[in-house]
Amino acid sequence: MATPGHVSGQALPNRVIPALGLLALALVWLMELGTIQPNRIVPGTGHGLLSAVGWLGAGLVTGALAGAIVLSFLSLRRRYWLLLGVVGLSLALMPLLLDVFALRHLPENAPYARSSIGAGFWCLLFLLSLMLIEILGRLRAGRSLQLMLLVVIATSWLLLLGAEGLESLSLVREFNARPDQFEQALRTHLALAFGAVAISAVVAFLLALKMIRSPGWQRPILGAVSFLQTIPSLAVFGLLIAPLSALSSAFPALQSLGIRGIGWAPAVLALIAYSLLPMVRNTYVAINGVPEHLVDAGRGMGMTERQLFLQVRLPLALPVIIEGVRITTIQAIGLTAVAALIGAGGFGGFIFQGLGEAAMDLVLLGALPTIGLALLADALLTMLAASLRPTPATT
Amino acid sequence: MIELKNVTRRFGETVAVDNINLTIETGEVCVLVGSSGCGKSTTLRMINRLLSHSDGDILVDGQDITTMNPQKLRLNMGYVIQGTGLFPHWTVARNIAMVPRLLKWPKERIDARVDELMTLLGLDPAIHADKFPQQLSGGQAQRVGVARALAADPNILLMDEPFGAVDAITRENLQLEMLRIQQQVRKTTVFVTHDIDEALRLATRIAVMDQGRIIQHDTPENILRRPASDFVENLVGKQDRGLKLMSLRPVRDLMTAHATPRPPEAGAEGLKEEDNVRLALSVMLWRDLPQLAVINARGEETGFITRDSIIGAGA
Repeated sequence: MATPGHVSGQALPNRVIPALGLLALALVWLMELGTIQPNRIVPGTGHGLLSAVGWLGAGLVTGALAGAIVLSFLSLRRRYWLLLGVVGLSLALMPLLLDVFALRHLPENAPYARSSIGAGFWCLLFLLSLMLIEILGRLRAGRSLQLMLLVVIATSWLLLLGAEGLESLSLVREFNARPDQFEQALRTHLALAFGAVAISAVVAFLLALKMIRSPGWQRPILGAVSFLQTIPSLAVFGLLIAPLSALSSAFPALQSLGIRGIGWAPAVLALIAYSLLPMVRNTYVAINGVPEHLVDAGRGMGMTERQLFLQVRLPLALPVIIEGVRITTIQAIGLTAVAALIGAGGFGGFIFQGLGEAAMDLVLLGALPTIGLALLADALLTMLAASLRPTPATT
Repeated sequence: MIELKNVTRRFGETVAVDNINLTIETGEVCVLVGSSGCGKSTTLRMINRLLSHSDGDILVDGQDITTMNPQKLRLNMGYVIQGTGLFPHWTVARNIAMVPRLLKWPKERIDARVDELMTLLGLDPAIHADKFPQQLSGGQAQRVGVARALAADPNILLMDEPFGAVDAITRENLQLEMLRIQQQVRKTTVFVTHDIDEALRLATRIAVMDQGRIIQHDTPENILRRPASDFVENLVGKQDRGLKLMSLRPVRDLMTAHATPRPPEAGAEGLKEEDNVRLALSVMLWRDLPQLAVINARGEETGFITRDSIIGAGA
């Protein structure tokens, strides 16, 4: 794969990594790495990099970033692999910073004291991730390498966060205060988001088929699902309360199923309504976009319409359909957080509870897993779509 | 045998194919030629019922095709289209195996058949079987298209401008390949093209079409010698006909045979018996020779052909 252009491209100095590295250096020194709070509500005292982790820690952070910047200027053949090592290792070991910070600053015998993560840490995490993405792009890393890195970094974080020193971390505190609730929220969140996506995938598939079979239905169906998409999400949740309450009081049998004006029922309905547009449009465009000459060839060779659909149209449309599922899933995971407002549960519950109690760490306990779930779903579905695409032409 | 009797096809008010009669004998290559929109593709697509005919009868081996199951009918007709129509999500082998799989052949038989066909079309199974169509050159993809059409050994081959989208050199190679394969398998073939040279080269008989009608249906030689109308005369190229006729005639026809075949002289370049006379003349003009040796398939010199005999024979 080492084309001449590729090699000379590797030898050129990289501009992205030094820029990100310098920015990270500046931010990690200028902003607070963490905060120590005497208890949950009282605002704490912030600590910069040097104060938080001492000369050794600050030196290591600075050294790693400076090393990455210098490496990206050197015209070594293997420099992107070296960079991958430096940046990957830094990312994997980042929780150690918090560990050292807590050990140095947390007062003894103060059971309510907690440490929390500052802006400097988040910036460092974000910029290092961007550098990793740039390096992986330059290396033209395959899916397996990307997946392996992800697993290594995630495992390292889980191990380090589970270790003794980080018990004081406010996020961990919030989690430890309600592990059952967290698990429950995770389960509800996944059930709501994926349940809604699954149902709307089926409905959208049927609607798209209807649009293809009878083109007259195309405008009304697309119009209806576009209209659903334009209503603000909170409004849908609100609007559904009245009719569902009326329904459940008219038919008590529904109540025993848990269908009420608030709770999971309106949440799922609203999520489905939002998911329909991207799903219907992608499915319709995907199936309709299969080149007519291929269908013609299949038909001319003696395929039945059913065989044509299952063996030609559907497999060729699948990557685009999955793209629709990907967009919808990410959107649904985010929206499910809002659905907590009508009592549906999920990670949104922590966010709104935290907002109410002015406990930012509880907000983070809801927000971070939501983001994580969305990123994970994005990565998995992108991989699935890529693996279903026919192999591109190679020279 | 395919028979079209008073066949008409209308699209709304327009008449695409206007009351045509055409008989294609078993094992012959009938080329439908004409400018775009003349109804040649429509005619082809009516034979495998991708389009229905508005009037008249189409018979395949004596049976009216409207009484047959369209899928069954098509499974017995290889179909090759312009731009190959290969499925991009299937490998070359899977593409070729398409009809045998629809016919539920056992796996070993399919694998053997795929290998056989790839070899027949000059594609190495070890190299190409697991490639995807996008990884092939235009000529290779078109060969796979032909292999796919031949896979279940159908009686009839329908080819709709199959070589229209490849470059001139590849097209010529594919045409020669087509002639070679046709000699081996003898399929009843309907071949649509707008390229008269392709038609003259491949056809047993040519049907010239214009505005939905068949203007002339005859052998390439008769089309050249006795064009039925100004349209046909212009199509075959008035001035060029002398040379085009030469290219229809094999060297075998005009050569002076030796009493017994003998080994060729060392270093002497000869013509093959099945090379055409136009090529022979061209070689003689280029190398400024009065005559050339003729070699048969076993590599023996069987005779010679002279410049005078070619000029003397005329068009």
